[in-house]
Amino acid sequence: MELSASITTAAKYLAAGFVMGIGSIAAAYGEGQVASHAIDGMARQPEMEDSLLRTMVIGQAITESTGIYSLIVAIMLLMVV
Amino acid sequence: MLEHLGEKLVLRIGGSDAFGLDIVTIIMSWVVMAVIIAFAWWLRQGLNQDVEEEPSSRLVVIESLMNLLEEQFSDAFESERLQAQLFSFISTLFIFITVSNWIAIVPGLSSPTQDFNIPLSFALLVFIVSHYFGMKLNGTGNYLKSFAEPYPFMLPMNLISEIAKPISHSFRLFGNVFGGAVLISVLTAKLIPILLPAFFQAFYGLFIGAIQAFVFALLAVSYINVAVEE
Repeated sequence: MELSASITTAAKYLAAGFVMGIGSIAAAYGEGQVASHAIDGMARQPEMEDSLLRTMVIGQAITESTGIYSLIVAIMLLMVV
Repeated sequence: MLEHLGEKLVLRIGGSDAFGLDIVTIIMSWVVMAVIIAFAWWLRQGLNQDVEEEPSSRLVVIESLMNLLEEQFSDAFESERLQAQLFSFISTLFIFITVSNWIAIVPGLSSPTQDFNIPLSFALLVFIVSHYFGMKLNGTGNYLKSFAEPYPFMLPMNLISEIAKPISHSFRLFGNVFGGAVLISVLTAKLIPILLPAFFQAFYGLFIGAIQAFVFALLAVSYINVAVEE
């Protein structure tokens, strides 16, 4: 393999790894925050559990989208570029 | 096995790149529809019984399914009227996406939501429905004016946030399902081909599939709520 081609391949794999690794930190931290605060609320008011659970799932789904974007970018780096 | 990962079987109409049909996705969505219709028809047969008889098991299944859907989605709507009009639409989305995600656990079948076109079409459908109801319930003029609030120079930002909604809505479902599918095929082809993929199938196919379908339906409800209350 030519040198430039192998450098490109290495950069592709490195970039995909970094994208997933760094990109998922924020999403994981955010989802943990949402879950911990929802549990705080549930412990304080157990009768609100149903609506808190639903709001928590929506909040986590929205928080998750940055992680999903980094997954899409990583897959595109590996398969399309 | 892995060298075919990400490849698609596309039927080009007229030999051009512009218009193609993804055959596997189309067949799989028809399979999902057939499964849902067959199940609904089978459940419907259980209703043909006398009032005095003991309720059959299928009747109990129908009631528990309807209770589940009503419990989860009926409080989420902003008003009773909206709920009466849109409950069946949201439930249909939920049931179709759930079955689409679950069907991937059958070996040899792939879920239709794994192709980006299906989540995108659902997200655009929700987008159109939310704006239609926003215009219908608030009046077209009032609704269009609400994009220039609180200040007129916020108009571009409001428009961009509206366009971002279907994009993030569709990518969320697609990314979860596709990520799970890629992980399972890599695991099966390269690492451990026995036993362990079954647990991953159960986690990604059944658990994540149901959660994502639920999230998709709930986000659809909340996008419609936001459009209606503007």
